[in-house]
Amino acid sequence: MLEIRNLHASIAGKEILKGINLHIGAGETHAIMGPNGAGKSTLSAVLTGNPAYTVTEGEVIFRGKDLLSMSPEVRAREGLFLSFQYPVEIPGVSMTNFMRAAVNAKREHQGLPALSAGEFLKLMRAKRALVELDNKLAGRSVNEGFSGGEKKRNEIFQMAMLEPCLSILDETDSGLDIDALRIVAEGVNKLHTAENATIVITHYQRLLDYIVPDFVHILADGQIVRTGGKELALELEQTGYAGIV
Amino acid sequence: MNKYIVHTGEKKHLVISHVSDETAQWQIVQEADSVLTVHLFCLEKDADASHDVVLDIEQAGEHAETYIYGLGILSGKQHISVHTRVRHSVPNGKSNQLLKFAVKDEAKGAFLGELIVAPHAQHTEAQQTNRNILLSPAATMQTQPQLEIYADDVKCSHGASTGQIDESALFYMQQRGIAPDVARQLLLAAFFHDVLTTLGEPAVEERLQRRIAEALSAPSANSAL
Repeated sequence: MLEIRNLHASIAGKEILKGINLHIGAGETHAIMGPNGAGKSTLSAVLTGNPAYTVTEGEVIFRGKDLLSMSPEVRAREGLFLSFQYPVEIPGVSMTNFMRAAVNAKREHQGLPALSAGEFLKLMRAKRALVELDNKLAGRSVNEGFSGGEKKRNEIFQMAMLEPCLSILDETDSGLDIDALRIVAEGVNKLHTAENATIVITHYQRLLDYIVPDFVHILADGQIVRTGGKELALELEQTGYAGIV
Repeated sequence: MNKYIVHTGEKKHLVISHVSDETAQWQIVQEADSVLTVHLFCLEKDADASHDVVLDIEQAGEHAETYIYGLGILSGKQHISVHTRVRHSVPNGKSNQLLKFAVKDEAKGAFLGELIVAPHAQHTEAQQTNRNILLSPAATMQTQPQLEIYADDVKCSHGASTGQIDESALFYMQQRGIAPDVARQLLLAAFFHDVLTTLGEPAVEERLQRRIAEALSAPSANSAL
């Protein structure tokens, strides 16, 4: 699914990622943990093609293709999805128009015809139920005036609409109360299949009680310093990063 | 110069859908209890178009209302200036202006908004808003609100800003698979949305949406060597 080899990346001349190696297979869930400033969010930004970052070395193969040579929108259409840590508010652009543009861009990329208005609304309804997203929110402008929990739920709703192969959840647990966390995690789990994969970026064990990872990686100072099973997250919870990094 | 009088109690709607030498300059006097709504659309295709639009409106009778709504997409080497002058010469008048421009390529835009409230024109309510987006580094927009308020019991406000497309919104949309040009169109349609809704006619609104989309995707003037 995803192969990251010796990935180095910098922002404004400062190197943040210093040689990341990571293999992610279909059906797997990987957690990436680490202290602030370790490069967790940089990794998701670089994988999705955020123009603020520059890749200085290394390669990334996504489903047999060179990911880094693709534009951000092509990466998305190829099945890469990022649940943003800070989802962006877009006043005046309705969720419906936004999602229709996204879904049909992906369908065109796959050689499929655009969905009719009826088919599209039916799909919206079905996916909304998955994350218990209120119909009223779906009628509003993208993320405008949404609470923190509603924004994260809306991210998972978009993930459900786009059915990505690889989803990166960047601190999806931040700012969520326990009920919202459960709804979001259940949504993610329902979307999980043997054909797709998930990267969960988080500070805390808490989210991993709900989304159970197959592998846990500790990122520190731009490199993966330890990899283990789900028990590594528990160990981390007890010893803190100081005991491991 | 087109001269016009909106008579007592009349409601008039002036739509300037294409800017030309014939449609650019207006001098309008409003009598009492009249309502004038002006819609101005600067969506010219000619890459060298150069126009000075002047809307000179005087409220000469009490309880008149003036509404000016405008939008423009300036491209190529176009040079468009819009000058509104709204004169409240008598008490109890209302006016509202909302003008938005997107400027691309090497186009130059200018907005001069004169709002004059005469000394005895008490209880005037006047608003003026001008918002602009620059779509290329070479595009420029000059905005100059000019309020001359000589009466003391009035409600007047104005706002002007010039910025760029929100890059974080653009990237967010790209991450969902939306091409940058489509994303820009959605963002600009959102930018113009409040001006378009003042038309109150969905069919006309839709036609203008299409013209906006065309103006945005129009090939740039031949600026490359």
